[in-house]
Amino acid sequence: MVSVTASETRSRPFLPAAFRNAFVDALAMVAVLVLAGLAVFLFGGAAMQRVVTYAAIMLTAVLGLQIFSGNTGIVSFGHAAFVGLGAYATGILTMPAALQRTALRDLPPFLAGHELSFFAALAVVLVLAVLIGLLTGTPLLRLSGSSMAIATLAMLIIVYTLLVASREITRGSQPFYGVPREVGLWTAVVVASIALLAARLFRETSFGLAARAAADDERGAAAVGVDHRTARLAAWVLSAVAAMAAGAMMAQFLGAFSPRDFYFDLGFTLLAMLIVGGMSSSLGAFAGVVVTIVVVEVVRRFEGGGVVLGFQLPVLFGLTQGVLAVAMILVIWRRPTGLFGDRELDLLRRSESASIAASAEPPRRAGAGHVAADHLSRRYAGVVAVDDVTLSFDTDSITGIIGPNGAGKTTLLNMLAGDVQPSAGSVSIGMPVGKASAFRFARAGIARTFQNIRIFPRMTVLENVVVAARQVEPDLAAAEAAAMRELARMGLEAFADRPAAGLAYGLRRRLEVARALALKPRFLLLDEPAAGMNAVETAELVAILAAVRAERRIGVILIEHDMRLVMNLCERVVVIDHGRVIADGTPAEAQTNPAVVAAYLGSRTARAHMDAKTD
Amino acid sequence: MVAQQIINAVSLGGVYALLALGLAIVFSIVGLINFAHGELMTVSGYALLASLFLGFPFPAAVLVAVACGALAAVAMERVAFRPMRGASITSLLLTSFAVSSLLKVVFQNGVSARPQAIAMPSWMTGAFSLGDFTIGVGPTISIVVSVLALIALEVFLRRSVTGTAMRAAAEDFDVVRLLGIPASRIIATAFLLSGLLAGLAAMLWVAQRASVDPLMGFTPVLKAFIAAVVGGLGSLPGAVAGGFLLGVIEVFLQATLPAAAAPYRDAIVLSGVIAVLLVRPQGLIPAVRVQRS
Repeated sequence: MVSVTASETRSRPFLPAAFRNAFVDALAMVAVLVLAGLAVFLFGGAAMQRVVTYAAIMLTAVLGLQIFSGNTGIVSFGHAAFVGLGAYATGILTMPAALQRTALRDLPPFLAGHELSFFAALAVVLVLAVLIGLLTGTPLLRLSGSSMAIATLAMLIIVYTLLVASREITRGSQPFYGVPREVGLWTAVVVASIALLAARLFRETSFGLAARAAADDERGAAAVGVDHRTARLAAWVLSAVAAMAAGAMMAQFLGAFSPRDFYFDLGFTLLAMLIVGGMSSSLGAFAGVVVTIVVVEVVRRFEGGGVVLGFQLPVLFGLTQGVLAVAMILVIWRRPTGLFGDRELDLLRRSESASIAASAEPPRRAGAGHVAADHLSRRYAGVVAVDDVTLSFDTDSITGIIGPNGAGKTTLLNMLAGDVQPSAGSVSIGMPVGKASAFRFARAGIARTFQNIRIFPRMTVLENVVVAARQVEPDLAAAEAAAMRELARMGLEAFADRPAAGLAYGLRRRLEVARALALKPRFLLLDEPAAGMNAVETAELVAILAAVRAERRIGVILIEHDMRLVMNLCERVVVIDHGRVIADGTPAEAQTNPAVVAAYLGSRTARAHMDAKTD
Repeated sequence: MVAQQIINAVSLGGVYALLALGLAIVFSIVGLINFAHGELMTVSGYALLASLFLGFPFPAAVLVAVACGALAAVAMERVAFRPMRGASITSLLLTSFAVSSLLKVVFQNGVSARPQAIAMPSWMTGAFSLGDFTIGVGPTISIVVSVLALIALEVFLRRSVTGTAMRAAAEDFDVVRLLGIPASRIIATAFLLSGLLAGLAAMLWVAQRASVDPLMGFTPVLKAFIAAVVGGLGSLPGAVAGGFLLGVIEVFLQATLPAAAAPYRDAIVLSGVIAVLLVRPQGLIPAVRVQRS
C-alpha cells in the first residue's frame, strides 16, 4: 500500500519537520521583539525603554505560564510565586555585601556575601527553579484539573506566607532594597527571546505533544500510551524555570520590592495577559503581553485623574487592574480562545509536513502472543457488568465480540485495554507491565479505539498520530515518518495539516484507527468501528482491517453490532450476555447456537427456531 | 481555656463551612469555581453599613444585608455567568476571577479603599458564664447561626421539589433538564443560596472585626476554596467537613505554635491540606458524578 523503501527513510533531515517549523515561528517573534528593542533604543526616551524592558520581563513570565497552562489546559495562579522566589533569590545573591550586613543583619551565613553578577545569579536561580519545580509539581500534579488549579492558589499563599514570615532572609513584609539594577533593555530582550524559543519548541517535543493530547482528551491520550503525569511535570518544571528567570530580572529591574508585589495582583496580571492573547499558543502569550502593555500604558496616563475631551476625570484606584479585568471578560465572552485563537504562526507547517517521507512498514511481529482474561469480573455498585469471563486471544486472528446492548462488551474491552481495573480476576497481555494502566498497556502493544471517538480535536491530524507514534519510535523525526505511513494507509495524508476537529465523522473514525496502528500494536481493540458508517465506508474499513491483519499479523478484537461485518471479517465470534460468555466459536456456530438466538430474540423465538430445525 | 479555644475553632470553622458550602453548591450545578464569592461578602458588609447609616434597627439591617448578598449573587449570575453557560470550567473560573478583580476596583473607587467602622451592639461583644467557663457571645452566635443555616439548607435540599431537583442536577444536569425542570431556575436558586450563605458568613465575619473594607471577603473565601477542595470539590457534606476541619486546625495551631513559628501558620495549614489531597486526591468526601462511556 505504501511504497517507500528503507533507504529513503534513512536520509532523514537533521531536525524533525515540527521543530523546523517551530524554530522559524520563534525566530519571527524574536525578530519582532528585537526590532521593538532597537526602536526604543534608538528613538525612545528612558521611560519608553523601561516600558519595553518591563514588557520583555513580563513576556518571560507569561511564557512560563503558557508553557504549563497552554499545553496542559490547567490554569495556574501560582506562577506569581515563582516570579517572587526568583526575585528574592536574585536579590540575596547579587546584593553588595556591605549593604547586606546592614539591611539583612540576621541572614544565615551560607546565604550571605555572595555578591554575584546577574548572569551568575541567574544560573543559580535556574538550577533552583528546577528543584522547586520538581518539589512543588510532584504533589500538585497528582490532583485533577479544577482541584489542581485551586492547589496552585494554595501554593501562592504558602510562598507568600513564607516570604513574609522569613524576616531574616526577606525582611518580611518590609521592602527588600539595595539590589543592583543591572538588568536593562538588552538583557531582558535576550532572556525573553530564549523563553520564546523554549515555549514555541516545547509544544512540539514529546512532552508537549503528550500534555496537549491529555488536555484534549485524557482517556484518549492514555489509550495511545501517554503518561500525562510525566508530561505535565515536565511542563511544570520548564514553566517554573521561565517564571523564576523573569523573577530574577524583575529583582534587578525594580531594585526594591516586597512580597506583596508577587501576590494576587501579579498572578492576575499574568493570567489576564495570557488569556487576552490566547492561552494555548506562544503566539497568544506574545500578542497578549504586547496588547495589554500598550492598553495599560495608555490607561495609566489617566490613572491620576486629568482632563479628557473637556471632562474632568476623578482620581481612580486600581484602574490598571480594572482595565485588565474588563479586557479579560470581553475576550472570554467574545473570543474564548483569545485574540489570536489557538494557532501558532505555523509559517512553514504546510511545506515542512509535505516534506515528511512516510517510513517503511514495520517488520511483521515475530512469534505468537496472546491476551488472556482470567476469571475476569467487574461490578459497578451492585451491577455485575462482566461476570467471571475467561478468554484467550491470539495474534494473527480477528475475533468479534457480540451481544445485546448492556451485555458488558465495552467493559470487557476496557479491562483488556487496562482502562478499567477488574473487580476480580486478571488480564495478562503476554509481557510484564507493572501496575495495570491504560498507557502502560498501550505501550506494551495493546492499541484501541473508542465507541464515541476520542481524537484530540485541537491538534492537527498529523499530530494526533505523531503522539501515538512517539511512544514507540526513538525520536520525533521517526515518529513523524511513521505517522505519515499510517495516515497514508488510512487515506488521510491530504488532511495532515488540518485541525482534527474539522474532520468529517467517517474520517475521524479512520484517524482513530491510524492513531492506534501507529503504536505498532500486537493487538488492535476496536469498539464498534463501523458505528454510524454507511455501507460503502464499512466495506472500505473491512478491506483495510483485513489488509493490516494480513500484513502485520496483529490480533484484532472488535465489538460490533453490524452482523454482516462480523460474519464477513471475523474468524471467531464470542457472544456475551449479562456479562457471561454464552458462545465462543466460528461465526457459523454462533449463528445457530440456541443460547445466542435466545439472547438476541428471546427464549420463545429460540425454541421455535429449534423446533423449525428439528421438523 | 481549652473550652474557649474549642468554641473559637468551631465558630471559625462554621464561617468557613458556610462559605465553602456556597462555593460547592454553585460548583456542583454549573461547574463554576466562583472567585467572586468574596465580593458577595463585601456587598453584604457594605449593605449592613448602609442600612445602619440609614437608621435601620440592627436586626433589620442584618436582614437587609443578607438579602443584598443573595440578590447580588443572582445578579452576578444574570450579568456575568449566564452568557457563559456551557463554557468550560476554565473559562468560567477565569471569568469569575476577572469579575472579582473588577468589583474590588469598583468598591475601592465607589466607597473607599479604607476600612469603615461598624458599631456592633454592645451585647454581642460580651460574655456569659456557664459553670466554670466564660464563653463569648459572638462565637456562640456564630456557632448557632452556622448550625441553623446548615440544618435549614439540608431540609430545603431534602424536602422541597427545587432542592431535590438541585441534588439531582449536581449528579447529572442533563437528565434533570430532560425531565422538564427549567435549568435557569435551578441555577438561579443555586446562586441565591450561595449568596445567602455568603451574606450570613459576612455578618459573622463583620461581628468579629467591627469594620468592612473592599478586600474583606478575600481571606475567608480563599480559605473556603481550600476547604471546598479538601472536602471534595462539588460535594456539599465535604465542603462542611472541610470548613470545620480548616477552622479547627487554624485555631489549634494558633494556640499551640511557638511564637517563632506563628507567622508560618498559613503555610503549615495549607501544606497539610495538600498532604491530605495527596492521600485522597478527590477530597475527604468525593462528589458523586454520573459518568458515560
